[in-house]
Amino acid sequence: MSLLSNQMSPARWAVLLAAVVGLELANRLTGAGTSLMLAEMLILAIFAASLNLLMSYGHMVSFGHAAFFGLGAYGFTLAVSRAGLPVELALLFGPLLAGFGGLVFGALCVRLTEIYFAMLTLACAQITYTVLFQWYDVTGGDTGITGFMPARFGLSEANFTTLVLVVLAVCLALMARLVASPLGLAIRAVGQDRWRAEALGLAPRRVQLVAFVISAAFAGVAGTLFAAFQGAAFPDYAGLGFTLEALIMVVLGGLHSFWGGVLGAVLFTQLRHWAPVLTGHWGLLLGIVLLIFVIALPHGVAALGARLGLGPKGDRA
Amino acid sequence: MIWVQLVNGLMEGMMLFLIASGLTLIFGVSRIVNFAHGSLYMLGAFLTYAFVPLIAPGTVAGFFAAVLAAGLVTAVIGTAFEVLALRRIYGRDSLMQLIITVALVFIIRDLVRWIWGPNSLMVPVPDALLGAWVVGETWFPLFPFVIFAAGLVVVVAMIGTIRFTRAGILLRAATDDRGMVALLGSNEKLIFTGVFAAGSFLAGIAGGMAAPYGDVNYLLDTTVIVSAFIVCVIGGMGNLYGALAGAMVVGLTKAVGVMYFPRLSMMLIFLIMAAVLVARSMGRQGGPAR
Repeated sequence: MSLLSNQMSPARWAVLLAAVVGLELANRLTGAGTSLMLAEMLILAIFAASLNLLMSYGHMVSFGHAAFFGLGAYGFTLAVSRAGLPVELALLFGPLLAGFGGLVFGALCVRLTEIYFAMLTLACAQITYTVLFQWYDVTGGDTGITGFMPARFGLSEANFTTLVLVVLAVCLALMARLVASPLGLAIRAVGQDRWRAEALGLAPRRVQLVAFVISAAFAGVAGTLFAAFQGAAFPDYAGLGFTLEALIMVVLGGLHSFWGGVLGAVLFTQLRHWAPVLTGHWGLLLGIVLLIFVIALPHGVAALGARLGLGPKGDRA
Repeated sequence: MIWVQLVNGLMEGMMLFLIASGLTLIFGVSRIVNFAHGSLYMLGAFLTYAFVPLIAPGTVAGFFAAVLAAGLVTAVIGTAFEVLALRRIYGRDSLMQLIITVALVFIIRDLVRWIWGPNSLMVPVPDALLGAWVVGETWFPLFPFVIFAAGLVVVVAMIGTIRFTRAGILLRAATDDRGMVALLGSNEKLIFTGVFAAGSFLAGIAGGMAAPYGDVNYLLDTTVIVSAFIVCVIGGMGNLYGALAGAMVVGLTKAVGVMYFPRLSMMLIFLIMAAVLVARSMGRQGGPAR
């Protein structure tokens, strides 16, 4: 089942622990450049995991998930730069604004299904992007908001990366808890067959809305961290580019698996990091890798893990 | 001024319809949301840029011949993609079908930057079309009228094909019930490939015809695909005539909106789309509107 349930086998605990220890060792033993790369990777892992929650369990495909990444970044940034709140308190406002955005947009989007749902999420995200881009007086427009705090809270590269690793672990633990909870089962039930779920007494739209808000809030956590990481917020954080990246990560990692988002984020950022060694044509490389994955490996890296006996056996959402 | 903008809006609406018609026909038949359709449009624009100097440069006939050639090459590339990649995953998760078209977006964008570089390019308006009509005080540039008329010719030919030919009958039948069409002995694969080829051709010539009207650059793909999605959604995915209405709404809103609130015209279009979607959700449940 999930990370925290009693079906978590010792082998999987060992793999997980090794991954965390390995990441922290890589973070400490290599240079600041590696730490920065790892920090970005782990932040994107939170973002991709939040989308994976929505897609793999709720079966809702969002074309606008970056809206909540952007709202998270701006919620935090504006709380510091415009409202003058202390940074520690302002951190709360990222996920809060993202969750609120999820509530407003979600209430509209869950009225629709499948392709129309996706299209409305796209519209909502583009509206968010346009507001961030055009509302110069508040958001600074395309120049964004910069210089409101020292990047990474003034922490060293390695310490900030450790912080992100801890946040990622907490987020994943919360998600695993959610997936195994009665609410998580309801989300899965509605995702698999909304009519049957309704016949069983669930309110599909309400369950979907709750899932949407939770997913948005987690995306907001990622956005907040990213703004702190960069010491800046730009409208692009809410743009179509970030949405597509998150979708690609989920597909590369493996749809319908708890670890899909995280694994995909790792694969994607590593690919992007090392691509210049191979070729200057990142787009071409990514396109070809995507083609190979979709045609030959539709369940992503997670399925490879499952084949090796490490995967979440009962975890097919 | 408003009249000039209205003409521009009609022209842009017509181009949008050419793109969106392919998108909506492909969706209608194969249920695939082709994210790469904007990329095919962009490819058409760049290919036109490449062909214009080769075929009787400066003349009207040369320009349209270049557009036609660009459309054909785009159709060949689109068809190759359908046969080599897309065909392998029909019947799979619709998300996978979407992602495979996203892969094509990245590939085409990278190749276009590789071949033509990152800067915006200009395709010259044919000399004969540089003039303007003067009505009273207003100068109407000639080019948008011509493009609108050319678009209209293509649309009439397309609708004629769909209504009156055997291929059109098969297409409409496949949109209604593709399983039944296959059972009745038609080659389903051939229909899918045909629709994809035709849609690619339409996107290619739309990109080519609109090329002299604005900059040609490698960022066209996403702006165009988002507009085309809006058009299809307003009209109902899979609904050709709905897409025509949607294209005109979007084209005119953009052109007129730019005059009165330039910063918010794109936002207005998204709001229209959101309003249409929400209004539709209050009516009957689900199902593509036809």
